[in-house]
Amino acid sequence: MKKRFLALAGAALLVTPLAAQPPRPANPTDIAGEWTLTNNEEDTTAQPPLGDYLGIPFNAAGRQRADTTAESIWGTPEYQCRPHSAPHQWRGLGGARILKEQDPLTRDVRAYHVQFMRSLDWPIFMDNRPHPPAWAPHSWTGFSTGQWIGNTLKVTTTHLKDGYLKRGGPQTSDMYSMTDYITRHDEILTIVTVVDDPVYQDEPYVESTTYTIDLTSNVAMETCNGSSFAENGGTDRHHVPHFLPGQNTALTEWLKKDDWIPVEPTRGGVNTTYPEYKSGATKVPASRTAVPPEKEIAAQSPRDGQVHVMPVQGNIYMLVADGINITVSMGADGVMLVNTGSAAMSEKVLAAVNQLAASAVTPPAPNTCFGANCPNAWGWASPYMNAVINSPAPPKPIRYIVNTSASPEHVGGNEKLASAGFFPRGGGFGSAVSNVGREASIVAHENVLNRLSTPSAPNSRPVPASAQPTDTYFDEFHKLPEYFNGEAVILYGAAGANTDGDSLVFFRHSEVISAGNLLSTISYPVIEVDKGGSIQGVIDGLNRILDLAVAEYRGQGGTWIVPGRGRLSDTADVASYRNMVTIVRDRVKDLIGKGMTLQQVKAAKPTMDFDGRYATAAAGEWTADRFVEAVYRSLQEKK
Amino acid sequence: MRRLLLFAAAVSVAVSSTALAHHSYAATYDVTREVKLEGKLVQFVYRNPHSFVHVMAADDKGIPQRWAVEWSGTTQLGNSGVTKETLKVGDEVIIMGRPSRVPGEYRALMLTLKRPSDGFAWGSAGQTVD
Repeated sequence: MKKRFLALAGAALLVTPLAAQPPRPANPTDIAGEWTLTNNEEDTTAQPPLGDYLGIPFNAAGRQRADTTAESIWGTPEYQCRPHSAPHQWRGLGGARILKEQDPLTRDVRAYHVQFMRSLDWPIFMDNRPHPPAWAPHSWTGFSTGQWIGNTLKVTTTHLKDGYLKRGGPQTSDMYSMTDYITRHDEILTIVTVVDDPVYQDEPYVESTTYTIDLTSNVAMETCNGSSFAENGGTDRHHVPHFLPGQNTALTEWLKKDDWIPVEPTRGGVNTTYPEYKSGATKVPASRTAVPPEKEIAAQSPRDGQVHVMPVQGNIYMLVADGINITVSMGADGVMLVNTGSAAMSEKVLAAVNQLAASAVTPPAPNTCFGANCPNAWGWASPYMNAVINSPAPPKPIRYIVNTSASPEHVGGNEKLASAGFFPRGGGFGSAVSNVGREASIVAHENVLNRLSTPSAPNSRPVPASAQPTDTYFDEFHKLPEYFNGEAVILYGAAGANTDGDSLVFFRHSEVISAGNLLSTISYPVIEVDKGGSIQGVIDGLNRILDLAVAEYRGQGGTWIVPGRGRLSDTADVASYRNMVTIVRDRVKDLIGKGMTLQQVKAAKPTMDFDGRYATAAAGEWTADRFVEAVYRSLQEKK
Repeated sequence: MRRLLLFAAAVSVAVSSTALAHHSYAATYDVTREVKLEGKLVQFVYRNPHSFVHVMAADDKGIPQRWAVEWSGTTQLGNSGVTKETLKVGDEVIIMGRPSRVPGEYRALMLTLKRPSDGFAWGSAGQTVD
């Protein structure tokens, strides 16, 4: 379908066949300037009525997601200052400014920067740089690269956050990509936007927008003063507005006025976008979205036997070890690991940590001071000579390991990595005892120790004592007694979330939260009801993260959240995940209230519009069915 | 899809007049209904993109609730003479608004606001939230 579209778009918009165009024209059209929005194929208000899905190639999940989305969600603290979602930006108020960033030597355009009144700067890189890995964060503007195809700039954007196609209902998942074809014809700029959301669409959605050059305009920037209270009234700042399936009765309200439009095409669907539909034909050419979502979702947590390193913020790094995330604090005091991955990966994790410590904490640096009076010169020493002949001091070892749960994928490397570390417990009489302090401290909620020190099955053994937590807590939170790598580290108990022993770890100066199993960008939360987990505990834990975290600007960035599995996240991502979990809880609760059995609840498919995102093969054995059962059971037990 | 391509290739003659809201009013509020809120103002948030008036007023069961009433942004309110000093915490106000579409939400879109103590009124003379 995409190829077909490209061919047609090329014929319609480029006039000259694609094959005849050089990849990079010597003098590409200059698209920089101030542009005024002229028109598009939508209505004139840019606020389509509730329930108008005309022309949207929705699948069933996309339709349900749209039907059940409440626009009041924009009143929640995490949404108030978000910019328009990327597909809508070209249609927002205030025009567009396109700037050129040029190499001062070659005058090559390194990047274009597009700015709207309600946006963040949107860079389009023209220097052939690769797109980031799948475990990198997503943002409102995503990551864009540009390529000239004749006189049309093709902009490919990935790493976008979830949002909306249009205001008032039609949503996108966070797995969509966007391709803009920007063509200038004299004073007219035509933008054809292709939104490919494999989770909610059967085919890419196409829209076009026209701008006119305006030498007198100046794209304003609208300030946003968000606040931490919800705008939806009441006193619950964690309120998640949504409609239960079937509850939104206003979806056809607009057709009372536009009564010449039949209801069916307003519900969207790929067949309604073809001319054959008008003639009554129900069969349309076989087509599908360009990108298989399963592959893209799995790539966020690659089970490739490798360790991938991503710098996060401050002292903190994220290791993706065969798909399991390990949070690392690295600094002058040594190394702290939040979780240790699987046992099979511990050698590679240790090698990665040592390499990271050597390069990040004690990197080779050129000497910058000459003579005997340089800072840190000891006695009659020349820092210049020392820098040349000395090798740097080795990095400090692993001091702490924190386990956010007893999950095997998070404690498997405990034994190997703790034994490679050192926690100074000795001194005084303590030093007389062998092995005191010769291993890293392992910190966890005491229920983690209870589980790891007890055989999980009648014929099994507990994990070795050297892999068990050495320092536990039982309270609402646990502060490490002193700074580590220059900052406070606080464990918040999330007992009753995934299990009865979960924690999240807050690095207070680096502004990073390690969320453990509370957050996964590849699956529904794993809730082990038999081990004390519950749906409400997960929601409470996610809300705790949202209470601690602060966005940097316009509802994104700021405090980073490292999930147990999947891509690096921020408050917006956690809010979306919290919303999904809350919505599923409310739906299951509603079905229980109607007297349904577990089988009936499963048959009602309360997760249907989220399964394409969180119940793919990437989620492994944690299927939608198992998640619904865990939600059902934990709600029943609460009764 | 082909139909959309025709759209994409054509130049529409419709003139767009984009609205200011970052969310859709029609999707947020039930524009066919009105709610009357009578009570004490507890917070006035004068800001962009929209201002909010919080008022303690009874719900349909007579139980006092904290209602959040959405108003215009600072520029639009300023143009109609409303400043951050116009309303004070403790003011007794009467508000007519459009209720939220979501059941159980204490949220409304401002239609009119009156303060009987001094006769201040907004909305009665044709002002609307934009």
